[in-house]
Amino acid sequence: MTVGTNEKLSLKNSMTSHFFTTERKDSLSRMMTIAGFFALWQIIGMINAHFEWFNPTFLPTPVDVLGAALHLHDQGVLFTHIWSSTWRLGVGFILGVVIAVVLDFLIAKVKLVQNALEPLINIIGPIPPFALLPIFIIWMGVGELSKLTLITYATAIPMIAYTVDGIRNVNPLLVRSALSLGANQWQVFKSVILPSALPPIFVGMRVTLAISFSAMVVAEMIGAFSGLGYLIIDSRNFFQMDNMFLAAALIGVLYSIFALILSFIEKRLFKWRQGTQMNDAISK
Amino acid sequence: MGLVVKDVSKSFPSEHGIKPVLQDITFESKDNEFVCVLGHSGCGKSTLLNMIAGFASPDDGLMTVNGEQINGPDQERGVVFQEHALFPWYTVLENIALGPTFQGKPKEESQQIAKKYLALVNLEDAADQYPSQLSGGMKQRVGIARALANEPKILLMDEPFGALDILTRETMRKELLNIWMHLRTMVVFVTHSIAEAVHLADRILVMKQGKIASNIEVHLDRPRDAKHPQFLSLVDELSSILIEEKARA
Ligand SMILES: Nc1ncnc2c1ncn2[C@@H]1O[C@H](COP(=O)(O)OP(=O)(O)OP(=O)(O)O)[C@@H](O)[C@H]1O
Ligand SMILES: [Mg+2]
Repeated sequence: MTVGTNEKLSLKNSMTSHFFTTERKDSLSRMMTIAGFFALWQIIGMINAHFEWFNPTFLPTPVDVLGAALHLHDQGVLFTHIWSSTWRLGVGFILGVVIAVVLDFLIAKVKLVQNALEPLINIIGPIPPFALLPIFIIWMGVGELSKLTLITYATAIPMIAYTVDGIRNVNPLLVRSALSLGANQWQVFKSVILPSALPPIFVGMRVTLAISFSAMVVAEMIGAFSGLGYLIIDSRNFFQMDNMFLAAALIGVLYSIFALILSFIEKRLFKWRQGTQMNDAISK
Repeated sequence: MGLVVKDVSKSFPSEHGIKPVLQDITFESKDNEFVCVLGHSGCGKSTLLNMIAGFASPDDGLMTVNGEQINGPDQERGVVFQEHALFPWYTVLENIALGPTFQGKPKEESQQIAKKYLALVNLEDAADQYPSQLSGGMKQRVGIARALANEPKILLMDEPFGALDILTRETMRKELLNIWMHLRTMVVFVTHSIAEAVHLADRILVMKQGKIASNIEVHLDRPRDAKHPQFLSLVDELSSILIEEKARA
């Protein structure tokens, strides 16, 4: 049918051309902001170093921080710290998410599990996970186990709460539609329930990623001998402000990388959501 | 054999006790028949269709397809929904291939079947698009192709064109008729448009307040001319049946 073809073509054209120009403009202005921030920081630090409004060691400049990074690299510990934090966070976060999602599906599907778990989560959920770290350490020692447990726990509890409603809300029309196409229970799960649960799962992951990072830093500040959190505490003991800034910045970078990976996966997974987001309501 | 509905009743609980929605519905339809269910909003058309689809079961009575009792949804009864109910995460082609895939057909074969039905509804160009990128009429055509790809014995359609504008609606009606003349599957088509029913149906079931008020066989040649005297007199007859109800209500 000719109407259909025309519609499709014009849709495609307007989408692609519009897409690229705004995206490029956006990323340019974003980069300017970031560059400006570092330039300003460097300038203020240098002026302060000159006039000594306050002790310059309190505010190392970006160049000082880079120097600290090189120094740690020469000592051969920089990447050890980064790697320790990365894998702790990666393992703890993924474990926490998987546990939470499996429990969510069970809560949504099996009334018995819901009745057993929801009150439990209501009791222990309000306790900030960090309050439990000393207990974990006494139970499991100062090794990796207590740290991973904290990160996993701190991820899983909010993740359960954030995603359970999203997982429960499946459009019944789509389930009917699958059933009358001859789907069995597993096929309904795979083609309807899981795909409609993925967006809320990713929202939950984005929110809880920040919590996992806090848990990682706190766990490394108490009873650890590597990792970026440990680097902060260790540097504080020796008053190495540039190292502390470096560790904080690296945690930020690491977080951005994890967030980027998440949004990259999301983009791949949710191609179908193009044109269904709030910004797509009106296009200019 | 075909579809047999016998003494079917259904009621729903409401604030004022139990509300009867369907009462003693009885009709039969043959294998290649195009059946239209015509009636005012709220007279129970969707309820009836949902029971034939197997989404709900009757309180009373019997529903069989080729002698077998209807027991839940099944691929032999394909459904086209008014809200199209396409899977937003699958492309057009994937949506259509879904039925054959569920049946355990290999991927290649399912895709082949899907392409065939995509061609039948004239949408080859949209194969790789997602439902959110389609117009209402295109979505509905995908919905029809998806239901047909399973080669169902009965195609159930609940006001499939209800959300379309008049022009698109007319085109879609003609296309549906072409497809049906080609496949000759039994269709049960719910509508509240008298003209649509007269254009399409071999048999029109007029529903009034949960009952079948009349069961009319239509013997006009297709494609039907809306200006043909017999067409017009049938439209008159149907509207008088429906308006009579309104006066009483
Ligand atoms: N699940 C339900 N629970 C309670 N009442 C229901 C339910 N489904 C339908 N009804 C009632 O049954 C009656 C018939 O509904 P139905 O959807 O079958 O009407 P319809 O003929 O399809 O109307 P329309 O043309 O507006 O779609 C309505 O009064 C409705 O309120
Ligand atoms: Mg209805």
